[in-house]
Amino acid sequence: MKPRSHEPIFWSLFGGGGMLAALVGPILVLIIGLLVPIGLGFGPEAMNYEQMRGLLGHPMMGFGLAILIALFFFHAAHRILHTLHDLGVHASERLKLICYGSAAGGSALAVLVALVLVLRG
Amino acid sequence: MSQTRTIVIECLRFHPETDEAPYYQSYEVPFTEEMSVLEGLQYIKDHLDGTLTFRWSCRMAICGSCGCMVNDEPVLSCQTFLRDYHPARIRVEPLAHFPILRDLAIDQTDFLAKLESVHPYLIPSTGDDPGDQPRHQTPDQVQDYLGYAQCINCLLCYAACPQYGLNDAFTGPAALALLHRYNADSRDAGKDQRMEVINAEEGVWGCTLVGECSEVCPKHVDPARAINQNKIASTQDYFLRFLKPRGRR
Amino acid sequence: MNQPRTYTRGMQRWWLRRPSYRFYLLREGTSVVIALYGLFLLAGMAALAVGPGAFETWRGLLFSPLSWLLHLVVLAAFTFHAWTWFKVLPLTVPPVKTRRFPRGFTDATLNRVALWAWGVVSLVILVAAMRGLQ
Ligand code: SF4
Ligand code: FES
Repeated sequence: MKPRSHEPIFWSLFGGGGMLAALVGPILVLIIGLLVPIGLGFGPEAMNYEQMRGLLGHPMMGFGLAILIALFFFHAAHRILHTLHDLGVHASERLKLICYGSAAGGSALAVLVALVLVLRG
Repeated sequence: MSQTRTIVIECLRFHPETDEAPYYQSYEVPFTEEMSVLEGLQYIKDHLDGTLTFRWSCRMAICGSCGCMVNDEPVLSCQTFLRDYHPARIRVEPLAHFPILRDLAIDQTDFLAKLESVHPYLIPSTGDDPGDQPRHQTPDQVQDYLGYAQCINCLLCYAACPQYGLNDAFTGPAALALLHRYNADSRDAGKDQRMEVINAEEGVWGCTLVGECSEVCPKHVDPARAINQNKIASTQDYFLRFLKPRGRR
Repeated sequence: MNQPRTYTRGMQRWWLRRPSYRFYLLREGTSVVIALYGLFLLAGMAALAVGPGAFETWRGLLFSPLSWLLHLVVLAAFTFHAWTWFKVLPLTVPPVKTRRFPRGFTDATLNRVALWAWGVVSLVILVAAMRGLQ
């Protein structure tokens, strides 16, 4: 009997991240990276410290952003692992561990930071 | 009679008894408006070089034996026309990703084993014997698998799939599409037997959705769709198996 | 049986063989940008948790001209990702589902629905941000 692949776990995370990156990624980049810095549609004080603390202190926003970042990481880890294989780098257990391990580490950090922000309000 | 022009056909040659490695050989082939690449090859064999080896049978895009690479694109040579390339030369090679047996003939042994592994036949449920009666299907039930049943095993999809080229353990597009063809048939009850093939690393999880299999398929079988629907099926099976009664995992 | 000797050609630089292969690698390559952008957002979050000084440094980076130019590239990568993502999305919708939809409901329809949803979601976020972050 052929062993069952554990890909469904990583593929689901990849899919979730890919879906979010597609749905909300471009608009977030547009707002945060392009519109706010030049003040197009936003005041010069947009995204200042107080405002962001207030925003991300809300559990929905804080944990929401953390989950978004975590899924970005898992999406990328999956694609990078497979693309390395495409480019001739064997997807060894070690490489898998590095890819998904760093995604998991980054995700844990994101959730931790969100927790701090939310707890401090 | 339509007017005769000349095109250069550059062929990959390999004879295992004499050649260390494949090499290219060019032929100047006179052709008419309605001549296919296959007919060009036949002209070479009949008039220029009898040692050129290639496969064909039906000459009408139904037997699936004349597949080859024309300018790096996997095609059926019987439905690819020289006029579309003239005045440029064309490069004809055996289907990519397969071992070359001789000139344009490739070794399909690997695919045949994979085809067998997916149980490509109806498996009725036990005790379900219609006797002399026909099995009825609604038009919708037929539509569910009809597209996937059009496969002619030409292997163009394997030649288009880099994942198969990189790792030939991958079950690959046509075999997985045929697997889905039987799973999607209302008369079939063999899903469980095929699930193991789907769930394996070499099953649907060998696919990264390059999508080229569906692009090159001359019968619009759409293997990419079959495979990706079964990624969903495999994911459901992976997580929901814990809810199933013991012994059925 | 005596097996004849065969010759297998390798996959050296296979992406040069077809333009669609390079398109595919480009699509997969957007994931690197997505990972880096995730890191950038994570850095901003962490700076926010550390304190006003750290966050002002991050915000200063964000407001630099170089950052603005880099974000153009990031936006292009995300948009390309989204475009290709919605393009292949219909492949994962099983026909038993699509069968219940009205006739003429094809991949193209599904793709259009996804693109509209993308537009609406983006607009909602933009409006909310413009009202909330002044
Ligand atoms: S799926 Fe299409 S390309 Fe692949 S073997 Fe069948 S007919 Fe040929
Ligand atoms: S000769 Fe039969 S498909 Fe081309």
